[in-house]
Amino acid sequence: MKLSIEGVGKSYRGKAWALKAFSLELGPGVLGLLGPNGAGKTTLMSILATITRATEGRVVWNGADVAKDPDRLRAVLGYLPQDFGVYPNLNAVEFLEYLAAVKGLDAATARRRIDELLNLVNLSDVRKRPLGGFSGGMKQRVGIAQALLNDPELLIVDEPTAGLDPEERVRFRNLLSELSGERIVILSTHIVSDVEATATDIALISDGRLVAHAAPEELLRSVEGRVWEWVVASADLQRVKEAFRVSSTARRSDGVRVRVLTEDPPKGAQPAVPTLEDAYLDALALHRAGVTA
Amino acid sequence: MNAIRVLGQMVKADFKERARRTSFLVTLAFTVFVGYETFAGGIVINLDKYRGVYNSAWVGALMAAVTSCFLSLVGFYIVKGSIERDEQTRVGRILAATPMTKAFYTVAKALGNFAVLSSMVAVMAVAAVLMQLLRGEDRVVHLWALLGPLVLIALPVMAFVAALAVLFETLPVLRGGVGNVVWFFAWMALLVAGAPPAAGNGPHYAARVEFADFTGLGTIFSSTRETMLKINPKFTDSFSFNIGGMRPTEKFVWNGIDWTAARIAGRLEWAVIALLAALLAAVFFHRFDPARAGLARRRKNPEAPAAGEQGVVQEVAGFGGAAAAWSGMLTPLARVGGRTRFGHLVVAELRLTLQGQKWWWYAGAAGLFIGCLSSPLVAGRGDVILAAWIWPLLLWSQMGSREARWGTGALLYSSPRTLGRQLPAAWVAGVLVTMATGGGLAIRLLLARDAAGLEGWAAGAVFIPSLALALGSWTGTGKWFEAIYTAWWYIGPLHHIRNADFMGTMAASNTPVLFVALAALLMASCWVRRRTQLGYA
Repeated sequence: MKLSIEGVGKSYRGKAWALKAFSLELGPGVLGLLGPNGAGKTTLMSILATITRATEGRVVWNGADVAKDPDRLRAVLGYLPQDFGVYPNLNAVEFLEYLAAVKGLDAATARRRIDELLNLVNLSDVRKRPLGGFSGGMKQRVGIAQALLNDPELLIVDEPTAGLDPEERVRFRNLLSELSGERIVILSTHIVSDVEATATDIALISDGRLVAHAAPEELLRSVEGRVWEWVVASADLQRVKEAFRVSSTARRSDGVRVRVLTEDPPKGAQPAVPTLEDAYLDALALHRAGVTA
Repeated sequence: MNAIRVLGQMVKADFKERARRTSFLVTLAFTVFVGYETFAGGIVINLDKYRGVYNSAWVGALMAAVTSCFLSLVGFYIVKGSIERDEQTRVGRILAATPMTKAFYTVAKALGNFAVLSSMVAVMAVAAVLMQLLRGEDRVVHLWALLGPLVLIALPVMAFVAALAVLFETLPVLRGGVGNVVWFFAWMALLVAGAPPAAGNGPHYAARVEFADFTGLGTIFSSTRETMLKINPKFTDSFSFNIGGMRPTEKFVWNGIDWTAARIAGRLEWAVIALLAALLAAVFFHRFDPARAGLARRRKNPEAPAAGEQGVVQEVAGFGGAAAAWSGMLTPLARVGGRTRFGHLVVAELRLTLQGQKWWWYAGAAGLFIGCLSSPLVAGRGDVILAAWIWPLLLWSQMGSREARWGTGALLYSSPRTLGRQLPAAWVAGVLVTMATGGGLAIRLLLARDAAGLEGWAAGAVFIPSLALALGSWTGTGKWFEAIYTAWWYIGPLHHIRNADFMGTMAASNTPVLFVALAALLMASCWVRRRTQLGYA
């Protein structure tokens, strides 16, 4: 099972490039696609989900060019778009039955699968209620269920935790981790903690370009020994922000605890254990400074 | 002063949002086409055998008449949907949280609609200048004579249409497809109410019609009549405004409408009615309150509560099975996406088409089926089928536009063989609905061994869903099908016009080959459209 993204680029109406020369090779596991808003994540997801055509480059699924045979990929694809709608007069079962038919599942298999999925996303009790009355989080779970209808080999989820409460978010991350065993899962998000919990591989994207592709441990190593913390007076915070690359701040009774990324630690600073957020911010800052990580 | 500035900003934003859509260019292109048709002599005003010399006055009046008669019909469908768009984009919720009053909002929406329609009038004004110069019968352009009719005849009509579109959108029953059908018949009624008189009734006409003259044809008639009587005292009040009709052989010079206070008041009346309609809309406007917006939905489907209401589906938290192994809850599937599920998909499409229909809809369909079956063949073929094949109008109008309307396109277009399987399945489902509702007549024709009648019926059964699917796919909304189908149904089948009667309601008007060919063309266009919607086809 292999998905290759080979020099893919996308420009809209021949103007700005939302994605440029993006290459990546993926096998089973969870790829966390991390990047700021507007980085090109959704464009890449749409290309991989065969919704939109790449302007340049190609996507290859198990050796076959997706542009030449998109249905080969679609048959094994589960896709949860960032924005999607539902038919408000259908209930969850009817909606999933419809999409199961579109995806080519026979009626008996679809019924069994829908039962399992509704149990999984805990919507069995409201299975006969029209979707028009569902909350955002419940609709999102219907979206997750539809993405898993055909037991996909490639699961693409674009900002999947939007609309989920903190508990649901944790559970969904666990679900993704478990599902990833024999399939490729691409999780696109700008929430670092989502990726931290699930990804076996991380791709950082910014301004439509691949900034870094590495295992989480590797990214963490890249900032090892460069993360420092110390407490400063509130009045000094602005000066510190101007002098250092600040990763985070937290108010305390004795001032503000500041976390910075730097080669030369300021006086009184203590070394800190790097997090993925530190590595992410560092990579983005380096990229923006014109240096690819 | 601040209120006017805010109003101006709202109208500007509304206009820009629409003007930057491709559909706006199509609208202007359509207006240019209408202007060209007028220039080419395809649309004429006749007084007996006379027409006016193409000077500023005549060209201005002609363009104003074209705008108020034809663009008023189309314009309604173009601008209707501005409140729905605020609902879909969720901009409405932001606006609802501001101090803005409901009346302010509905008036602003009406003005936004008016701005769009005014741009069409502006195109007609440019066309009028060009027409006068290119026709060359009188090259001296008198601006007021040319533009006066557009300002005082066409613009008030457009203001009325703009406000009425907002009013329709705020009324639960008229918000959707029913409103689109109602507008067609209301427009016809307005045309008839202000239509110029039958020959010989001219003297009584002016006084009677002054305040019912929606299109302004009455104003043009009463003014041209005065001039005409001086040229030809035996003028019989024969006045016609038509498309592709008889071309006049004589010309007369007419110098324009004498804008008396009564005439101006008669025109401005429509602008006042427009303002009242916009204010009335505020009474019914739900201000994006999900609970009130839900009232309409509940009427449509009592099972469907709106978010935020007491009846909302109780939030069910989390995923199932707390700490259990998630993947253990799912049985692995064999490879799916086989090629043998077309019938299953047709059934799914059929269920989707029929979603949310109430018992009375099925009762009505069953009644019409029985009516077709039990009526004498002539009545069944001529009248009952007309009712049977307008009954599912709102089902057909969802075809092709459902994905755009509900935002399910990404889910659908990432599935295998959407082009080769889902699109044909949606079409077959539409054909089945059409065949079922008109099925009584088919049985009757079979029993009577009326092969020609059966061919006409079959052509209708494939043509109607093809038209629906094509218009829905290309426009992303059902309103154009609702408008065009209703007009076509009225012109063709109801009046048994040959080559327009897609139901073959009479032997003389039955042209099944034409409509099967049209259906094939429409489906080919659907295929092209769907191909462009798919990233990779």
